[in-house]
Amino acid sequence: MRAPYAHEERAARIVAEPADAREVAELVRACETDGISLAAMGAARTLGEIRKTPVALGVSLNRMRRVIAYEPADMTVTVEGGVSVDELNRTMEPSGQRLPVDPQRPDLTCIGSLIAASHAGPLRLSEGTSRDLLIGIRYAGRGGKIVHGGGRVVKNVAGYDLMKVLGSSFGTLGIIVEATFKVRPVPEHYAMALARYDDAERTFEAARALNDLPLAHLEVLSPAAAESCGFDGKYVLLAGLSGSRSEVASQYAAAARMAPGARLIEKEDARAAYACLRDFDFLSQSLAARAAVAPAELASAMLAADAEFVAHAGSGVAELFLNRMPADVRATVARWREIARGRRGHLRVIHCDPEVRPSIELFDLPNSGAMGLMRRLKTAFDPAGIFNPGCFVGEI
Amino acid sequence: MRADGFSSAYGCDNFVFPFGRGGFRDRGIRSENPSIIARATAGANAVSAICCAIVHGVSADVIGIAATPLDSRLVDELAAIVGRDGIVSRPSELKVYECDGWTVEKNSPDLLVMPRTTEQVSAVLKALWRRGLPFVPRGAGTGLSGGALPVNAPVMICTSKMNHILAIDLANRRVEVESGVVNLHVTNAIKRDGFFYAPDPSSQQACTIGGNIAENSGGPHTLKYGVTTNHVMGLTLVLADGEVVELGGWAEERCGYDLVGAVVGAEGTAGIVTRAVLKIVREPEDHRTLLATFADVEAATRAVSAIIAAGIVPGAIEMMDQLIIRAVEDAFHAGLPADAGAVLIIELDGLVAGLDECAARVTEIARSAGASEVRLARDEAERAGLWKARKRAFGAVGRLAPNYATQDGVVPRTRLPDILRVIGAVSKKYHLAIGNVFHAGDGNIHPIILYDERKPEEVRAAVEAGREILAACVEMGGSLTGEHGIGVEKQGEMPLLFSPEDLIAMTELRRVFDPMERSNPNKVIPRPGSCVEVAAPRRQVPI
Repeated sequence: MRAPYAHEERAARIVAEPADAREVAELVRACETDGISLAAMGAARTLGEIRKTPVALGVSLNRMRRVIAYEPADMTVTVEGGVSVDELNRTMEPSGQRLPVDPQRPDLTCIGSLIAASHAGPLRLSEGTSRDLLIGIRYAGRGGKIVHGGGRVVKNVAGYDLMKVLGSSFGTLGIIVEATFKVRPVPEHYAMALARYDDAERTFEAARALNDLPLAHLEVLSPAAAESCGFDGKYVLLAGLSGSRSEVASQYAAAARMAPGARLIEKEDARAAYACLRDFDFLSQSLAARAAVAPAELASAMLAADAEFVAHAGSGVAELFLNRMPADVRATVARWREIARGRRGHLRVIHCDPEVRPSIELFDLPNSGAMGLMRRLKTAFDPAGIFNPGCFVGEI
Repeated sequence: MRADGFSSAYGCDNFVFPFGRGGFRDRGIRSENPSIIARATAGANAVSAICCAIVHGVSADVIGIAATPLDSRLVDELAAIVGRDGIVSRPSELKVYECDGWTVEKNSPDLLVMPRTTEQVSAVLKALWRRGLPFVPRGAGTGLSGGALPVNAPVMICTSKMNHILAIDLANRRVEVESGVVNLHVTNAIKRDGFFYAPDPSSQQACTIGGNIAENSGGPHTLKYGVTTNHVMGLTLVLADGEVVELGGWAEERCGYDLVGAVVGAEGTAGIVTRAVLKIVREPEDHRTLLATFADVEAATRAVSAIIAAGIVPGAIEMMDQLIIRAVEDAFHAGLPADAGAVLIIELDGLVAGLDECAARVTEIARSAGASEVRLARDEAERAGLWKARKRAFGAVGRLAPNYATQDGVVPRTRLPDILRVIGAVSKKYHLAIGNVFHAGDGNIHPIILYDERKPEEVRAAVEAGREILAACVEMGGSLTGEHGIGVEKQGEMPLLFSPEDLIAMTELRRVFDPMERSNPNKVIPRPGSCVEVAAPRRQVPI
C-alpha cells in the first residue's frame, strides 16, 4: 500500500501493488466485504481521465510483469496484466513476432489496460484490436474468485466468451490479471506513403481509393495534427505499407497512382513518422474525443465536426480534438455526438478539463434495450458495485 | 459431495449414469409428461453442475421441468402469428428435426415454428414465455455438437424463412442479413464486386449465418481472416421473454459492454438472433494454392510448423490423411495422390508482387520437411478442384461407414504430431477407423470416427474414443472445440477445461440474457436435466 503518485491522484486515493493474482483476489475479497471501490489502473492515464472522483483503492499491476509462457512456434504468449505492450514486444522481437496492437505510448500501456480500455492505434486496420487477438483471460471477479475464460490455443469456442465481456469493460467487472494472445510475424519491411492536400475533401477522396489496397494503416490528419507529427500544416494522408520488399514496392506504386504526388518514406524515417502518429498526445489537448462511425461516413463526419482530427480511414474511427477550450464544452461535445450518431456511430470523450468533467457524459449511451442488459451484466458480475463504479456507460 | 444430494435438494430423482461419466447421458425414457422429466448427468460434470446449482439456486424450471405440455390452444395462437404454413406439428414431419449433424443423440421437438420476421419471433417467444415453455433455435441443422437438439425444450424455432439479404454496402464493407441466410449466399452476393465473407465452414452451402453466430463458426480461411466473432458487428436479438434488443451496429468500436461478443458463440442460449450486420473483406489480389504430398502425417505436420515458424501467414493450411484422401478419390476422383500418407492444401493470398516468392519459399520448406511432391494449382479451375475435394471430404467419408462423429479438438500447433499419434492409438484401441481432415494451420483437428449406430457397442466405443481424444487435447494445453461448439456433445468434458468458478461466471453471463434459461436449455454448461432418446437408425445428416 502506498499514497498515489502525483499523476495517479485523479485515479485513486490509495494504491496497492499486489505481487500476484492471489493477492489481487484477496484485495477484491476484502474490498467486497467492506464495500470499498477499487480499480486496476496501469499508468493511471485512462482511469485518471474517466473518474469524476478518485476510486478508493487503485490496484497497480506494476509488480505483475511476468511473461508466463511464450511459444514462438505456436505464436501464442501468456502474460501477467502489468506487462507493458513495449516490454512484451521486446520479449518477442528475437523471434520476429509482435502483438500488433499499437496503443498510444505502448511503453506506458499495460496489457490489462490495453484490454480493459480497448486501446488501439493505426494498425487496427490490418491487424485488428486486442479484441481480435485475445484468446484467453484470467481475472479476479466477484467474491475475489479467479475466473478464466478461453485458453492458450489460437482457435477455441469452448464456453462463453469472457474475453469479449472483460474487453472494453473499463475495469467495471473485475481486474484482469493474465492474458493470452495470438501474435503475428513482424513484417519484413515497413514504409509509408505520404501525400499532402490543401483541403480535407480531396484528402479523404484519396484515402477512399487507397482503402482498396491491403495497407497496414491509413490515416488522414488535419493541419494541427499534421504539424504536431512534423508534417507541415496541410491535410496529410499517410498510408502504411508492409510486407516483403516487392510487396512494399508494389503497394507504393499503386498508392502513387491513386494519390499522385505521394512521397515514399522509408526505413528509420518511416518508423519515426509512424511512432509520431501512434503517440499523438490527445491528453495534452484542451478537449479530445474518439468517434466511431460507419467507415464510409468518416469523411463527412470530420468535415462536419469543425475540429482537428486524426482519422483512421478504413476503420471509421477518428480522434477529434481542439487545442483551445471551446466556450461551451457541453455544446461542442453534444454537437460532435450528434454528428457521430447521425452516421451510425457514437462518440466517447477521451480527454477534457477535470473541472467540466462532471457535466459531460464521457461515454455515449447505447439504446435502452442494450443498456438494460448492460446493467444486468454489471449486477451479475459485480453485485457489490465495487469495481470502478459510476463512470462507465449509464454511470455503471 | 454426492450426486444424490443434489437430486434430493432439487426434488428430482432417477439419476442414471449410463456410461460412467457425463456427456453421453441417459436416453432411456422420454416421458409423455414433461413435468417429471428431470435427470442429472454424473461424474465430472455433476461436480460443477452441483456447484453452479448450489450457488445460484437452480429452479425447477431451469433444470428442465417444462411447465405445461403443449396444447392445441398454443398451436392455434402460434399459427395466428406465423400462419399455418409456418407450423409443423405432425410427428412424422418433426422426425426430420430430431437431430443436427451430431447424430449420436436424437429427440424430436413437439412443435416446430418457422417465423418470417423479428416481430413474429418476438410474438412467438412471448406466447411461450407466458406458458413457461423452453425452446430450441435452429438454423440449417448442420451443427456438429448437438446445439439444435431439443433437450427438454418442446418447441423448436427455425430461422430458415428469414432468409433475406437486407443491405449490401460495399463502401462501408458491411452486409446486413436476416439470420436464416445461408453462409455462401453472402459471398455469392458480393463476389462479383471483389468482396467475400470470410468465415467459410465446410457446410457453407447449407449452414445459416444465425447458426454461424451461435457456434462462432470457423472454416479453412479463418486462419488468416478470423472466425465469425471477428466479422459480426451488430445483431438484432430476441430475448426469451420476447423483448427485441439491438446490439452493436455498423461502427468498429462498441458502445458500452461488448454484448455482441458475448452473444456470438453462446450457442443459442442468449435468445434468437434475427438479423446481423457483417463485415466483409476485399478479395486478395491473387492466390497461389499448393498441394504438398507426404509419406505420413508426421512429416506433413512438421511442414506446417516450419511454414508458420518462417513468419508466413497463409490464407489456409488444410491437412488430409490417407483414409480421407482415399475416400475423396473413390467418391469424386479429385486428382489427389491416392497412395499418399498425407497431403496439405496450402493457400497463399495477397498482393501478386509477393506471391510467387512466397510460394517458392513454402515449396522449399515443405520439401525440406519431407514432401515428395509440391504441386501448384495452375489455374482457378484446379484451385477450385482442390477446395472442392477438401470441403467434400465429410461427404466422401459417409460412403465408408453408416455413421460418423466428427470431433473438433484443438492443440497448440507444435503438438499436432503428438495428438495424431494419440488418435492412431485410440483408433486401434477401440477398433474404429478414424480419418483426419483438418485446419492444420491453427491446430484445429477434426478426427472423423466411423461407426455403425445399429451396433450399440460401436456407438459407445465411438463416444468413448472421441472423449479420449478430447482429453488428450486438453492435456496438451488445447481445447475441446475450435469451431463446432460444446452443445450437448462435449458438456461432460467442460470441467476438464474450466473450474467451477469459471462455469459459474459463464452461467451468470448466460442469465444476463436469459435468466430462466428458456433459450436452448441444457447446453454448453454441464448440468442436470438432459433426457434424450436413442432412436432407430436414420440417414446421415449431410454436412
